Amino acid sequence: MTDEDTRFGTEVLVVGSGAGGAPTAALLAEAGFEVLVVEEGPLVRQGEVVPFSLAQMDRQYRAGGVTAALGLPSIAYTEGCCAGGGTEVNSGLYRRPPEEVLERWRRDHRLVDFDLAEVDEIAGEIEAELSVQAVPGAQIPASEALRRGAANLGWRHDESPRWMTYPDGPDARLGRRQSMTETFLPRAERAGARLVTGLRVDRLVLDGGRAVRAEATRTDDGRPVSIDLDHVIVAGGAIQTPALLQRSGLRRNIGRSLAVHPTVKLAARFADRVNVPDDVPVHQVKEFAPDLSFGGSASNPGLVALALSDSWDRFRDAIADWERVVVYYAAITSEGRGRVHAVPGFRDPVVTYRLTRRDKAVLGRGLSRLALVLLEAGATDVYPSYRGAPVVRTPSDLATVEATFAVGRASVMTVHLCSTVPFGEIETSATDSVGLVRGTTNVRVHDASLLPDAPGVNPQASVMAVAIRNTRRFVETLTPGRKAVT
Amino acid sequence: MIEPPDVTVVTGAAGWLGRALVAGLTDEAGPWYRPGTIRALVRDPDDAAALADQPHVEVVVGDLRRSSDLTALFAALPPTVDVVHTAGVIHPRRTDEFIEINVRGTANVLAAAHLAGVRRLVHVSSNSPFGTNVHRDDTFRNEEPYAPYYGYGRSKMQAERRVVEHVDAGLNAVIVRPPWFYGPYQPARQTTFFQMVRTGKFPVIGGGRQRRSMVYVDNLVDGIVRAELTPTEPGRGWWIADARPYEVNEIVDTVGRALAAEGYAVTPNRVRLPPLVGRLAERADALMQRTGRYVQPIHVLGEMDKTIACEITAARAELGYDPAVALEEGMRRSIRWCQAQGLEL
Repeated sequence: MTDEDTRFGTEVLVVGSGAGGAPTAALLAEAGFEVLVVEEGPLVRQGEVVPFSLAQMDRQYRAGGVTAALGLPSIAYTEGCCAGGGTEVNSGLYRRPPEEVLERWRRDHRLVDFDLAEVDEIAGEIEAELSVQAVPGAQIPASEALRRGAANLGWRHDESPRWMTYPDGPDARLGRRQSMTETFLPRAERAGARLVTGLRVDRLVLDGGRAVRAEATRTDDGRPVSIDLDHVIVAGGAIQTPALLQRSGLRRNIGRSLAVHPTVKLAARFADRVNVPDDVPVHQVKEFAPDLSFGGSASNPGLVALALSDSWDRFRDAIADWERVVVYYAAITSEGRGRVHAVPGFRDPVVTYRLTRRDKAVLGRGLSRLALVLLEAGATDVYPSYRGAPVVRTPSDLATVEATFAVGRASVMTVHLCSTVPFGEIETSATDSVGLVRGTTNVRVHDASLLPDAPGVNPQASVMAVAIRNTRRFVETLTPGRKAVT
Repeated sequence: MIEPPDVTVVTGAAGWLGRALVAGLTDEAGPWYRPGTIRALVRDPDDAAALADQPHVEVVVGDLRRSSDLTALFAALPPTVDVVHTAGVIHPRRTDEFIEINVRGTANVLAAAHLAGVRRLVHVSSNSPFGTNVHRDDTFRNEEPYAPYYGYGRSKMQAERRVVEHVDAGLNAVIVRPPWFYGPYQPARQTTFFQMVRTGKFPVIGGGRQRRSMVYVDNLVDGIVRAELTPTEPGRGWWIADARPYEVNEIVDTVGRALAAEGYAVTPNRVRLPPLVGRLAERADALMQRTGRYVQPIHVLGEMDKTIACEITAARAELGYDPAVALEEGMRRSIRWCQAQGLEL
């Protein structure tokens, strides 16, 4: 092993290569900065693993797919852990940050120079870069079912566009996802940025308020690596970013206000073979948004089994018929908040989350409203995912759901984690309006941790837009050229 | 809307809604007048006399728990008959009555109407099969999952299911769902409501910001007639309520204002109770209902901290329903009716 492998120097270190880190690295490299991107997970090219499969969970997710936020009930969450982060493993659904959400952040968190028109313009650039578009041609049947159910009820629904390119022809399943490894990461590398995967940053070494070095570990052989730096931009996601900052001795307002979109789910069985195991529905029901939204989940046989597992003794016969079964979710905008605590001696932080009384009530009603959509869509059997659930076949069975559902019996999970290092200029802000961590001169955050609350829609577009906006401010105020000598 | 029928069968004709409906259908100067006969089912012979004075009204004394009584109700009918099934029990002595009257009674009416080959049946349901909103800002859409509120809610849900079963078997029936109603012909419990507001003793739980949909009884009559005479798919159901839900504070303030405008001295200070009281009352209600007992004040108190709000967009779109009367005017009419009856407020 050479010194090259264990000692790096860079002008800007970007920790994490997902929706926050990748655009940041591309724009900085293009502006002439020397950029090193380090990523804990591996680089997995699209096509190497089947989307939503167990192999993908093993390779591209943290901890094999599922970690849990402790609380009553505990909430399972997933984090991507690979080059491209969460953008590699999700459904590629795209939602421009809603204007009222941006305005709320600007107003309530007193964001300085946070121009909604600029964010909108950045969103336009992202959409071009990622080829964000609606599915051409027919939707998969599971998506069409959700659309039909909502339309029969007169409930508002729409199709979420995706970052996909499609070959000519009618089959939308042949689309290629325009995740970070297809877009901003190659762009960053073309502009001279270096990407190192399999390298986990353990802590930042600060001198006064200035980070001078990052201490990291190679994930393959456990060897320590040291990285000298002028600036560091942390973009490890809403769990890993606050944990890294805490391990580096930065604690003020950090990791105290985790926001998520908790979800509950059900499986719906239809008369026809509706299941397309490697794709997900693009329709979403927005009648009750932002309080409550419905959508479809990946539904390969393993995930169908998981959805049936809470009442496995009574639901298990449906697994043999998995080709006719699809998993759907109800997501809420939670009033609750959680915490991320880095614990000395442990690799992963402890995450806690508390749902409020209202959250629990909205989850329960959300599940029965979702079941109603699927009955309207023509589902013959609906299997709500909680212990002791009835099989719902008629509207009267929904009354049984209402009477027996309790959040504590359900598998509550989330994929949208935000707000652990909130930006703004108020008492609870952890960074300033451009992501510079309070009490430091060169430690920045550019990921979902910054979003002051969960936006009520898929947050990845918001993450990219905020990262790009902050990178623009960085480029406007600093000139390229390494100061530190390594 | 299509022409009214030769005979309109009204169950529960001596009840609050039934009396308002019969009065509307027989008022020659009103918008809902119809020349045909109203055949009115009442349980108590004493009520029969009061109704029998009205022109075009044939009173049948009977109990919808007895099929034989319903045979008489549906005997010797002309070709075109509609049914408005308003009969039901909401505040019984024993919870058994919910099933006996609201479920079995409805099933009997449906069976008799189906057998008689009626043109259309309008079943009067409730908000109760759908329970309460999960928070203050939530509003019931026209279609919602069942989440019945205790014994009454379960019975009204089961009644709706019986209606749908008959629709599946060929009966042309639809459902209207009124929330809390108010207006003339009100029973004694509603007079108590006015007295509590007048004396400043109406128990507002929590901040009073919870929302309640209400319906002025003549708005409801209008909605029922539209549901009867507007050709739609059988099996449809609609919320029939005032144009918008009201906050509890607004209800209490408005009733106070209406009472003052009608010449009453109104004490402004209100009874404020913490939210816990509502939750305890709900729990007590649940426990008692489990043993078959029903205590109205406890039930009402338990429901008082909840939001029960619905939207009427579907009734507007499909029935052309457009409620003419809102809270203040409706309450004033209600107060004047009480005065005309010599009721002490």
